[in-house]
Amino acid sequence: MKEQIELIVAAAKKAVDEASDEKQIDEIRVKYLGKKGELTALLKQMGSLSAEERPIMGQMVNEAKAKLEEIVGAKQIQLKEKATELKLKAEQIDITMPAKEAKVGKLHPLNTVLNDMIDIFQSMGFDVLDGPEVETDHYNFECLNVPADHPARDMQDTFYLADNLLLRTQTSAAQIRTMENRKPPIRIICPGRVFRADEVDATHSPVFHQIEGLVVDKNVTMCDLKGVLEQFAKEIYGADTKVKFRPSFFPFTEPSVEVDVTCSECGGKGCRVCKGSGWIEILGAGMVHPNVLRSCGIDPEVYSGFAFGIGLDRLTTTRYKISDIRLLFENDKRFLDQF
Amino acid sequence: MKISLNHLKTYVDINVSVEELCDKMVMAGFEVESIEKQGENLVNVVAARILEITPHENSDHLQICQMDVGGKAPVQIVTGAQNISEGDLVPAALHDSHLPNGMHIMAGKLRGVESNGMLCSGEELCLTDADYEGASVYGIMILHGDHAPGTDMREVLGLDDYIIDFKITANRPDCNCFLGVAKEVSVVLGTTYNPPVPQYSVKGERITDYIDVKVENYDLCPRYIGRVVRNLRIKPSPVWMQKAITSSGMRPINNIVDITNFVMLETGQPMHAFNYDDLANKQIIVRNAVAGESITTIDGKEYNLSEDMLVIADGEKPSCLAGIMGGKESEIEDDTKNLFLESAKFRRDNIRHTGRALGIRTEASGRFEKGVDIINVEFAMERALQLIEELDAGDIIDGTLDRNSGLPEDRIITTTVKDVLALLGVDIPEEKVVNILNSLGLETTLENGILTSKIPSIRDDIEGRADLAEEVMRIYGYDHIIGTPMRGTVVRGTKLPERIKCDKIKSLLCGMGAFEIATYSFISSSAIDTLKLSAEDERRKTIKIINPLGDEYSTLRTQLITSMLTVLSTNINRKIENGRFYEISKRFVPKALPLTEQPLELNTMSIGVYGKDEEFFTLKGIIEEIMKLFGAHTQYERSNEPYLHPGRQALVKANNKAVAVFGEVHPITAAEYDIEQRVYVAEIKLDVLFSIEKRKTTYKPLPKFPAVERDFAMLCDREIPVGALEKAIISGGSRLLEKIELFDVYEGSQISEGKKSVAYSIWLRSAEGTLTDEQIESTCNRIIKKLEEAGAQLRSK
Repeated sequence: MKEQIELIVAAAKKAVDEASDEKQIDEIRVKYLGKKGELTALLKQMGSLSAEERPIMGQMVNEAKAKLEEIVGAKQIQLKEKATELKLKAEQIDITMPAKEAKVGKLHPLNTVLNDMIDIFQSMGFDVLDGPEVETDHYNFECLNVPADHPARDMQDTFYLADNLLLRTQTSAAQIRTMENRKPPIRIICPGRVFRADEVDATHSPVFHQIEGLVVDKNVTMCDLKGVLEQFAKEIYGADTKVKFRPSFFPFTEPSVEVDVTCSECGGKGCRVCKGSGWIEILGAGMVHPNVLRSCGIDPEVYSGFAFGIGLDRLTTTRYKISDIRLLFENDKRFLDQF
Repeated sequence: MKISLNHLKTYVDINVSVEELCDKMVMAGFEVESIEKQGENLVNVVAARILEITPHENSDHLQICQMDVGGKAPVQIVTGAQNISEGDLVPAALHDSHLPNGMHIMAGKLRGVESNGMLCSGEELCLTDADYEGASVYGIMILHGDHAPGTDMREVLGLDDYIIDFKITANRPDCNCFLGVAKEVSVVLGTTYNPPVPQYSVKGERITDYIDVKVENYDLCPRYIGRVVRNLRIKPSPVWMQKAITSSGMRPINNIVDITNFVMLETGQPMHAFNYDDLANKQIIVRNAVAGESITTIDGKEYNLSEDMLVIADGEKPSCLAGIMGGKESEIEDDTKNLFLESAKFRRDNIRHTGRALGIRTEASGRFEKGVDIINVEFAMERALQLIEELDAGDIIDGTLDRNSGLPEDRIITTTVKDVLALLGVDIPEEKVVNILNSLGLETTLENGILTSKIPSIRDDIEGRADLAEEVMRIYGYDHIIGTPMRGTVVRGTKLPERIKCDKIKSLLCGMGAFEIATYSFISSSAIDTLKLSAEDERRKTIKIINPLGDEYSTLRTQLITSMLTVLSTNINRKIENGRFYEISKRFVPKALPLTEQPLELNTMSIGVYGKDEEFFTLKGIIEEIMKLFGAHTQYERSNEPYLHPGRQALVKANNKAVAVFGEVHPITAAEYDIEQRVYVAEIKLDVLFSIEKRKTTYKPLPKFPAVERDFAMLCDREIPVGALEKAIISGGSRLLEKIELFDVYEGSQISEGKKSVAYSIWLRSAEGTLTDEQIESTCNRIIKKLEEAGAQLRSK
């Protein structure tokens, strides 16, 4: 009987080794281990054995059963893994096939750039305000030290809506409204839409956008102005960016400067973008004119401040190398999708 | 302000290169628009000798010239000119040469004969007799002097000058002239400034015997100086003066006119020359025009004058439009014998208004508008007389008629160096501050810490210490300003709630595949008509721009739909298959028309979608997400916007406030934008939406017990909106109802006429426990009852 067990086990092992799919393994299990299987049949024959032999044989059969079960189980796992492997292999796809489009829109490039700027100035403690686009002559000009016969009025051709109402030509008007409503220390930016009677072409638009900045406090100096603008320029154009002041004129600041930054394209060596100068003009700034402070009820002998105005459209077109400002207002989806 | 470098050197020592000079001037506040090297646009043109002239066989006027251009072999050039002879030295533009008039000359054939260039006229080289004697002749310019053939024409013409164009800021009208620039150059370079010192001699006669000058309106003419010059000897002015005038972009005429123009360019003070003999009654009256008066100016145009315009009249009529342009009648001509010369200051806004009203702008009026100095009026006159004597242009009569209402004293500013530097944040030695101010002509002393500056009237831009700070800094150098980081308690800045809400909507819309657009705030006056609004519609009450850039941009928008339709049209007509767009901007709502105060500027949003996957309900989906963002309780009602499809549009109410309208665009409106397909637009009043108080979000526990799903198919009149059925289900399902979903609406053959079949899935769930059959049964029965009340009959359960 012992030989019989060994023969069955050997035959079963062989069958398992030769099995190549799960179905065959199932058949083997039934044939050897099932209720009507060969080992079970052996157990049934034990009645003919002596009382001494019976437990010994029973143990032998059970051991053989356990061993076979292990072998069958291991083979079963192996075959399952193999089947999975084959299935996955068959499912291979061409990963260079086009994606199924995830529909996502984009912010307008002007606002993408604006949001970056708001973030920078907010982190420096500037509150972000808003002002009306239709302004009075008083806020747009008079309070900004541009009286009626001032030659600076020629600098900006204004759209008028009524005798003393106009479309604001600069966000600086918001400075005045802020200074009238808040007491120093003041630290604000005011982004917004402004209007000038410029004929539309590749670099001019009658509608454009500015970000006005204003700081008023005791002992504010031009060095503070430069510090803030350096911080801004580094964040926008990179850590190596340098800032240069050039004297200029705006009626509402004194002293007034044009602010240049090192050309981000060539790093200041001179290239086509900066016309060889190594510098790019990005904004106008200056110390708030004493007359302006006074007209807002702030004593220029006690407080001083600085203001700056950044052209958002120009910043946007230079960042993305957009050659024609009209593209910003045309809103072709293929354009908008690029930013 | 264009100025010749060589001429500038007659006033100030310049010891640096032109590039360095310009860099330094830029850093002192004088932007350089351009540096033009003379002859830069004259390339490969040489002096050439004509060796032989033969006639052209196929032409009665062309001649073939063999030219010595300095090379070994002669070069053949064909010309049409007749004024040349063998042996003449002439300018020859060789193959691949450039002329100042923009011509590019290449070798070619003229009527079959090879021509390797072109012989040039003075005109082709942009030269006149003023530049080179004989240049104005008709035909080829014949060169004089001994130049070897092949010599570059730039050398022949002595073109070694630079024309620098300085941009003068509006606060420095005193620098709109040679002397103003020269003075600044001297300070910037630290070199000597040599302005002319006017001197001249006079004839014994008295001016009062010749003319009487009266100013009737000192407000518009604070100072008027007149002089008389007799026995004019009119001829061309000398070459140096002509060059200075042409360098600055003006045209030489004759010595008298050139002197007035030169003095204007040199001193910044416009002058005017009258033909003395044409002045009626020997009178000059500075007065306002009388209604009905007119004047014919030197350009031959006649202008009708109004009473607010200032004229220089003789005893009878206006003889000159003050500060703007002279009259034809008293113009200086070649045979003019006697001269009345004017130097005056006119009020700048009056000159501007008159110039604008008549549409005239001249070199003179431009300067008066920017402002001339009342003291300089006299210097300019003296300088003009000096030049008249120097050029032997006439005999100066003794005496000046100087009419003014009082001349200003120098203004005094007292401050301290510390206060000046306080604005700058830079430490500059006191002595340096004083020196800089003095070098700029602001007589400054420092005593016991008090800085006292005398400001001459020509620098009336300097009002206080801030201006002194700027003067000091621009000369001391802005590179001395070192940035300091923000000081004080720094906290993160805040944003206005509206901006935060707009930002949220924008990211939501971008997430739903919509692109943000930006369009102009103004539209054409007729754009609103495309919406077919009724005559009384509020949106027709628009604000008009008084001086628009044309009708296209003339009207402030009261809605954003027309701009959105334009953008949809642009994209559709560029064959872009689909698109979702939105814009957040302002609509301008006047409080009264005509406008008397600032209008309301209300935040508004437009959405526009098109393409094969878009329909009324995709847009409704977008709207719903926006309403959810604000926690609004939303209702939809039928609306009747004339620009939308009458059966496919809805008014959206959020918490019972009308907040939006959306729908499919009416084909008639769409056609106005060349749109032939279905497009969908929405306009949301953000000002209303933002006013909704949003409830705070609080967490709801996730369900512990299973839900039961039931389907209801029902039949009802087709006119009954599913919204009504939905309402019935909600009210019947009450608190056990978790979710309902419409899954089928059918009208057609299996359904009787006028009816439709509607099918819903509903989910019931309780938070307290698994629903019992009784609970489900009774809830379903209540729903069925409510549906029946709403006019629907259950088909199956």
